[in-house]
Amino acid sequence: MRDIIRMIVVLTVICGLSGFTLSYVKQVTEEPREYAYLKFVKEPSIKAVLSGYDNDPIKDRIIVTLGKDEKGNPIEKQFFPAKKNGKVFAVAFDASANGYHGPISVMVGVNDKGVVDGISIMQHSETPGLGARTTEPSFTGQFKGLTLDGVNLTASGGKIQAISGASISSGAVVRAVREALELLPKIKQEVFSS
Amino acid sequence: MRLVNEFTKGLWREVPPFRLVLGLCPTLAVTTAAENGVGMGLATTFVLVCSNVLVALLRKLIPSKVRIASYIVIIASFVVIVELSMQAYAYKLYEALGIFIPLIVVNCIVLGRAEAFASKNNVVLSMADGLGMGIGFTMALTVIGGVRELLGSGSVFGVHVMWSSFEPFGFMLKAPGAFVCLGFLLGIMNIIGAKK
Repeated sequence: MRDIIRMIVVLTVICGLSGFTLSYVKQVTEEPREYAYLKFVKEPSIKAVLSGYDNDPIKDRIIVTLGKDEKGNPIEKQFFPAKKNGKVFAVAFDASANGYHGPISVMVGVNDKGVVDGISIMQHSETPGLGARTTEPSFTGQFKGLTLDGVNLTASGGKIQAISGASISSGAVVRAVREALELLPKIKQEVFSS
Repeated sequence: MRLVNEFTKGLWREVPPFRLVLGLCPTLAVTTAAENGVGMGLATTFVLVCSNVLVALLRKLIPSKVRIASYIVIIASFVVIVELSMQAYAYKLYEALGIFIPLIVVNCIVLGRAEAFASKNNVVLSMADGLGMGIGFTMALTVIGGVRELLGSGSVFGVHVMWSSFEPFGFMLKAPGAFVCLGFLLGIMNIIGAKK
């Protein structure tokens, strides 16, 4: 009997201590882990959509709360500001829209006047050779210099030439960028004043 | 004297993947480049040393019937610590090693040393044993990784060293290449060992 109790106590204590240690380590590494993740996963896209900044957009990232979801939890979104001499002149953030095969997520770089600096497709699962061609610079490059009015497919009176045979994918990218540009006025105050 | 002996046995006489032929899963899987070998080796060394020390410390406290469960919990905790810190401070390596970091838990070298050595010896000797075995494992992984990287992509530690017309053997980077490489190295070690 004493043996059994000893076994239970020892194993419980070891597991408990292990749990405490791990939750502590997890907490301590929370910040650097998130930073490392953003650095390697998002920085390449941020570099592709913004230029001429001298800060670290990942380190200076701003989290803005955009309303609440159905359960009442705040919806938070990350914005990556591009600064020159300490002044924010543009911001990069992601937006997504459903393409032909699930969501296409796009990193959009916009300056303070609402002009697109560049876009880059971060993730998609479109058809290779058709929808996947939306990632090519010949398509994404069309967005540079446009404002909300211009970001639309030519068929709908905009300036974006859809990729032939991939109008759904092209439309999804346009919708994602439009969504981002429509969001801009709401967050402008918070992002550009910091 | 015993201390030195326990430390050096892991470096040559009992170098884990070649002599004990233990821990082959990471040995074969992650050694596509020398750098991955070093990273995996160092992560394993950390876990080995820490778990050996803790197991040796607790060896009189842990009842023998639950020892394996206790060792696994101790080892798993250190592995998670390694995983979290790698994710925070060496993200590239973390991506390259992927699933094989959590799998250090089931690396039989770690449990093997805890069971065969640390549970019977004092803290200092266990630490020397863990350190020696870990360094031996790191060296072995680095050598295999180096050979495979040299033949498979013509470089060592990411630096191109082969002549320009060298055609890399893509085969060496695949699983069969790992076995062939391990086989040759085992053979070479046996030839050297037999002469003594």
